[in-house]
Amino acid sequence: AGVLAAHKITASSPDTDLPTVSGLRKMGVNFTVSNKDTVKCSDVLFLAVKPPIIPFILEEVGPDIEARHIVVSCAAGVTISSIEKKLSTFCPTPKVIRCMTNTPVIVREGATVYATGTHADVEDGKLLEQLMASVGFCTEVEEDLIDAVTGLSGSGPAYAFTALDALADGGVKMGLPRRLAVRLGAQALLGAAKMLLESEQHPGQLKDNVCSPGGATIHALHFLESGGFRSLLINAVEASCIRTRELQHLADQEKISPAAIKKTLLDKVKLESPSLSVASASKVSLFTNKSKKN
Amino acid sequence: GVALGAWPPVAMEAPELWVGFVGAGRMAGGLVRGLLQAGKVPASNILASAPSDKNLDAWRELGCRTTHCNLEVVHRSTLVFLATKPHILPGVLEEIRPAVGSHHIVVSLVAGVTIQTLQRLLPPWTKVLRIMPNLPCVVQAGAMVFSRGSNAGDEEAALLKSLLSSCGLCEEVPESYIDIHTGLSGSGVAYVYLFAEALAEGAVKMGMPGALASRIAAQTLLGAAKMLLETGEHPAKLRGDVCTPGGTTIYALHQLEKGALRATVMDAVEAATNRACDMAKD
Repeated sequence: AGVLAAHKITASSPDTDLPTVSGLRKMGVNFTVSNKDTVKCSDVLFLAVKPPIIPFILEEVGPDIEARHIVVSCAAGVTISSIEKKLSTFCPTPKVIRCMTNTPVIVREGATVYATGTHADVEDGKLLEQLMASVGFCTEVEEDLIDAVTGLSGSGPAYAFTALDALADGGVKMGLPRRLAVRLGAQALLGAAKMLLESEQHPGQLKDNVCSPGGATIHALHFLESGGFRSLLINAVEASCIRTRELQHLADQEKISPAAIKKTLLDKVKLESPSLSVASASKVSLFTNKSKKN
Repeated sequence: GVALGAWPPVAMEAPELWVGFVGAGRMAGGLVRGLLQAGKVPASNILASAPSDKNLDAWRELGCRTTHCNLEVVHRSTLVFLATKPHILPGVLEEIRPAVGSHHIVVSLVAGVTIQTLQRLLPPWTKVLRIMPNLPCVVQAGAMVFSRGSNAGDEEAALLKSLLSSCGLCEEVPESYIDIHTGLSGSGVAYVYLFAEALAEGAVKMGMPGALASRIAAQTLLGAAKMLLETGEHPAKLRGDVCTPGGTTIYALHQLEKGALRATVMDAVEAATNRACDMAKD
């Protein structure tokens, strides 16, 4: 997105064999195996580890956190207060921002929300917003909405991928080659989403606009309705949101076993590429951590 | 046959309009009540025929004239509504055919009888229109669609629309929409009654007395429909407006979606429409 120069970004991970690592290196991002080094040369810290790892990371880098640091957690279900609590043993007024984003940040069409912690200033929030707006939509919310956001746009791409797979199957069934079917399905969803975002109209109205009387589309929609399509989607968002809360509960009670933590993790990595510059100086760090010995 | 010439005088102004009903059943009764309520036609200008007095008593109470003679209705009216049962109609048309002149406007309310059939059974010069009303015409909140036959022109269509708008929504449509209208609104009224009943039952289950629940259910439907009609907004938008995040409404809507209510309603409209088509073919 050109918001930040690659050399201003530092990422750390104990496992240097991850494909994400070489990807980052190729972009010119500074790489280290030391989380502490990352903290030292950064102003904005993205904690991009799995939720159960967060407490361990905070323990590790806590002593190096200074007043200037903005700690941004993207970990699902990890509350601002839990992070602030952990960090407060090291730093009296840690600046914490919690955000929830999604994978399409990779193609700069992410959906991100953030909530600011007790000591994070308005400018800190705005800085994060500026950064994340470069990779998609970004807005501030109250923290208690973040679980719902997880259910909707956090998990949302998975629902879309599932839908696209199935749409492609439909196309193939009716005679299209798979590649073309996938391409057309994806473009249809992309186009529809774009129309909705750019329109003042309600999606129901936009749907009506496509349905000529007695035509193909309305016949198809009837099938969707018969299958309870809408309720399935509502169920999905609800389930994801509820599960997020459950995980948060478990995390709060620190019930996750070290064994679970040692499992291989799929890391969520935020990628920002060089060229333009942003208002205030910021070096951005990405933590990735596979396993932690106690 | 009787040469009618120019009697009664052909006049398009409502007070001078002589209106006849062949058949005096529920639907005809609904229309006439609407006409009278709106003051479009004086009761004394209305003549209705039916084989027995069973239905006609109510018409007389309204101030209308009645007869057992269909021909008399045709002789004494300019605008003639055909409101018999479908299987009766062919016989009635044969009966009145000699008396039908070029000044007449014949409007059929008979379900499933096409304009083609009507024109076949009436003199070739007859101005024929076909209308499909629904029951709430009785309370001037009906939904009616009509189509015109070959000889019916803009004037006749305008007259019909102006008269019947007193009973509710009245729109001209291609004849192919009439069966759809049956499925949507003719029968549709029954779907709404069913929904109202279910709403009330839900309330009763939760502890509200039945009579109160029923009245509130009806008012809810009325109010929602009124908002739809008056704001002209898309129903999806109005629905969204009622749904506060995490509130009661969205929880309830989720239940409705789980029950695939939308698809079921679509199924209902489709079934009624198809049945109307099938019946018309008989």
